[in-house]
Amino acid sequence: MMEPMNIVRVLKHISGSSGCKMLKRNDVIMTGIVLLIALVSLGFFFLNKKEGSAVVITVNGKIYQQIELEQNNTIKIEQENGDYNEVVIQDGYVWMTDADCPDKLCVKHNKIHYNHETIVCLPHKVVVEIIGGEENTVDIIAK
Amino acid sequence: MKKVVTIFTVLAMIINITACGPKTEQRFESSFLELFDTVTTIVGYAPDEKTFTDYSQLIYNRLEEYHQLYDIYNDYDGVNNIKTINDNAGIKPVKVNQKIIDLLEFSIQMDQMTNDNVNVAFGAVLSIWHDYRTKGIDDPISAKLPSMNELQGMVKHTDISKVKIDKEASTVYLEDPLMRLDVGAIAKGYATEMTAKYIEEQGFTNGMISVGGNVRTIGTKFDEAGTKPWSVGIQNPDQESAQTTVHILQLEDMSLVTSGVYERYYTVDGKRYHHIIDPETLMPSELFQSVSIVCKDSGMADALSTSIFNMTLEEGKNLIESLEDTEAFWILNDGTYEYSSGFEAYIRK
Repeated sequence: MMEPMNIVRVLKHISGSSGCKMLKRNDVIMTGIVLLIALVSLGFFFLNKKEGSAVVITVNGKIYQQIELEQNNTIKIEQENGDYNEVVIQDGYVWMTDADCPDKLCVKHNKIHYNHETIVCLPHKVVVEIIGGEENTVDIIAK
Repeated sequence: MKKVVTIFTVLAMIINITACGPKTEQRFESSFLELFDTVTTIVGYAPDEKTFTDYSQLIYNRLEEYHQLYDIYNDYDGVNNIKTINDNAGIKPVKVNQKIIDLLEFSIQMDQMTNDNVNVAFGAVLSIWHDYRTKGIDDPISAKLPSMNELQGMVKHTDISKVKIDKEASTVYLEDPLMRLDVGAIAKGYATEMTAKYIEEQGFTNGMISVGGNVRTIGTKFDEAGTKPWSVGIQNPDQESAQTTVHILQLEDMSLVTSGVYERYYTVDGKRYHHIIDPETLMPSELFQSVSIVCKDSGMADALSTSIFNMTLEEGKNLIESLEDTEAFWILNDGTYEYSSGFEAYIRK
């Protein structure tokens, strides 16, 4: 979160100074450098976020959709035979809010957040997995 | 019949094992949904993705064989399985694979050890519950409980001494025509144990197999600091809770199996009825929310978690304390935790 704040600060400085006198050459160069660093690190930040944490939904072993974990979202997984599951992503947590499967075990499943955690709807062959999320301190869960 | 399966392999992270020189092992994970009506997950270390995928395929193939042999609901071409034995109850002995005889002998041994609390010949009663539960899940509004008459009528067809195993002829015969085998409390754990031993012989020496939460660890895992036991969580029976696990255990070459009321159940008039049936009351056992067992053998852990679930806390503790390298953890209905004497040593601090 450091990078966006840098930009705001730099921009304020420019507008504040441009009102009363011309910008000095060094000021412009300095601003440019700071902006460049900010933009590059911002770019890395978003790039890492995209690759780093995603929610991968597979149906029958095939990827149905891949979305960012960091972006709040509601996804309805609809299959040709009418089966559906509804997945909610909010504040880095993912859970199943609705499904028309008989046992509803997927809907009852705890929210997932950590790398490689999954929610599985066995009757619909739907797997929701977190890839590249925060590392879990648990390797697996016995149930 | 050879079936090619999609096994998702994920490269989780790359680790250098400094202790063994320049050798590099990577951590991988794969999973599949096809077997034992549950999710199988394999985690482990291998030099490269292909090696890991090959191990996963070998594990799949072996588990698939057990899955078909121990199935009580489906037929498979050219396979005599437990269903075939059930279908021929009171009719004729069925020639079966040695893996079925081994499972049944192990099951009889477990039943004796647990004072008849994990009887594989209890299928006649369990199938009544299974039918009511399946109907109740499919159509919750008209969900019903089986009548006590119906259940009691079947108890006389659960005498395990009427399971006749002929090792010479490799046959199994149920003398009572109404008897049915149900290996659901033991087969998954037993198959996991056998498969873990097999894959370890093939060179997969640092891994973990979970068949629907029946967890068997093989060796250790690695991290920057070197080798380390696997961290295996125990499911919180309260699935609404933000806390997914109640304890995290550190395990090396050990199994952890949990039986809980949240696994499979249906609801009648607002009350939940789960799938672990007490052989005495013929009703779902209502003493605990879950029972977890740690021991070496995953088949024994599976059998014990079910049978201890059906015993009082005192009976269960007595049994566990009489067994070597075997520990248990109970979550009572009021949320209290109870432990056998050596269990807490496994809990990660």
